[in-house]
Amino acid sequence: MRKLWFVFKLTWLERLAYRVNFFMEILSGVMSSLILVLLWMAIYRSAGREVIGGFSIEEMVTYLLGGGLINSFILTTAENPETSQSIQDGSLSNMLVKPMNPYWIWFVRDLSMKSFYLVLGFLGYTVVFFFFRQYLTPVASAVHLGYLVLSLVFAALLQFFLFEFMSLLAFWVENTYGIRFVMRVVMEVAGGAIIPLSFFPGVLQQVFLALPFPFLIYLPMRIYLGKIPLESISWELVKEALWIGGLVVLNRMVWKRGIRQYVAMGD
Amino acid sequence: MIGLGRYFKLIRMLFKFALMRQMAYRAHFFLMITGKVVRMALLLFFFQAIFLKVDRLGAWNYDQVLLLFATFHLVDYLMSITFQRNLAFRLPQRIQTGELDTRMVLPVNLLFMVSLEELDLMDFFSSIPAVAFLVYVLDRIGFAFSWGQALAYLTLMANAILFLFSVVLIISATSFWTVQSHGVSRVFDNLMKIGRYPLDIFEGFWKVVFAYLLPLVLIAQVPSQALLANLTPGFAAFGCLVTLGFLVFALFLWKRGLENYMSASS
Repeated sequence: MRKLWFVFKLTWLERLAYRVNFFMEILSGVMSSLILVLLWMAIYRSAGREVIGGFSIEEMVTYLLGGGLINSFILTTAENPETSQSIQDGSLSNMLVKPMNPYWIWFVRDLSMKSFYLVLGFLGYTVVFFFFRQYLTPVASAVHLGYLVLSLVFAALLQFFLFEFMSLLAFWVENTYGIRFVMRVVMEVAGGAIIPLSFFPGVLQQVFLALPFPFLIYLPMRIYLGKIPLESISWELVKEALWIGGLVVLNRMVWKRGIRQYVAMGD
Repeated sequence: MIGLGRYFKLIRMLFKFALMRQMAYRAHFFLMITGKVVRMALLLFFFQAIFLKVDRLGAWNYDQVLLLFATFHLVDYLMSITFQRNLAFRLPQRIQTGELDTRMVLPVNLLFMVSLEELDLMDFFSSIPAVAFLVYVLDRIGFAFSWGQALAYLTLMANAILFLFSVVLIISATSFWTVQSHGVSRVFDNLMKIGRYPLDIFEGFWKVVFAYLLPLVLIAQVPSQALLANLTPGFAAFGCLVTLGFLVFALFLWKRGLENYMSASS
């Protein structure tokens, strides 16, 4: 446990060394959210309506900015490139001789990066939150807040295991970036990062809801806004936990099979 | 003319090299193209989702917004196939490492070389569905435009590319003095995405910003309006003048940067 804590701390220190670059990355995300908020404000104004698709302007702004913040710490770290890089360039061999399971190192590094981006995200979004403060709606209730925190923890885990699975495919394919890129593209839209999924046509909505992505942003933001009955939240979290459990098992299988046939060239 | 012929030959060679390099991982190459096409399709669903709830975006109906969307993506692709990554990310790296030296001794224009050195063929192939989509949109609006409007559309698209080239060059040329330009490039990359929406629906401060201060309207809105005959000749001329201003400033900064460049290699 102590070793993993060191990994966590070291990852933070690494990130801090390039903090301006990472802050710029967050700023890009903030910019995207800002653009979406401005767009939706203009849409509400030009439509001359108080509510569109069941969302008031305040709920929409809160949804987009909250979604943007979640995006900044969950989706920014989305691609887990370290795992596939280590497998491809053979640096995994180095990790295998260390007294720690590489899988746990990647896991802790990912959590550390997420926490780092969360802090940076808060810094970046605070200004935007202040700018749009009259539009922001508070969390529905204290119980909702508790569920929200739980759903964010689950979202972070789900995202890691999803992309870790893709990265572990590097044991068999030469380059996994393409697979992870497609996944990330689908995740951004199907996760509800740019628009609440209830806005999509029926069939598309059903397809998206059958995937694990809506648990990443759509569910946490619906919980925050109180747009999901309290009694349904637990069931949604159970479904998410089942996805996580399934992915953990799958990752374990892939890792075991992959490591058995892993070969690294060296001099 | 001989000089120009040499540049065409060079572009052909750069295309060939890019194809060889990027096809090294074939599955990856095709997955990336798939991802880019899927992204465009999903964004299209995004607009469809909006129009399920509202009839118009300001003065723009669904078909007109689709034209704007298709135009934006075409300009975006033209930029990313050619100079975007070369100037925004590779040039700063080459300045910092001193690799720019090796390009300076080549018997070709340095700006040409650093702008087009690595063509992005994934985006080249991903842009084919974007062109097909534009044709589909033109069919939806019934090809209701004159030759003059079509010519204005193409001219203003070229103007958009030149405008983006200038902005990207301005940002990347700052890497002669600072090491953080690629961060700014990333921010601009996201900011310019606003060009895919009709920017005249904004009001007040933001309208002034996007129309005059950082005229992102030039990317897709102005060409689309020209095709739809919704653009005054005055604003079209203003757009071209603004681009000229940006270009002159970008070239000035590039020249000053080169004078300032002292190479980092040993």
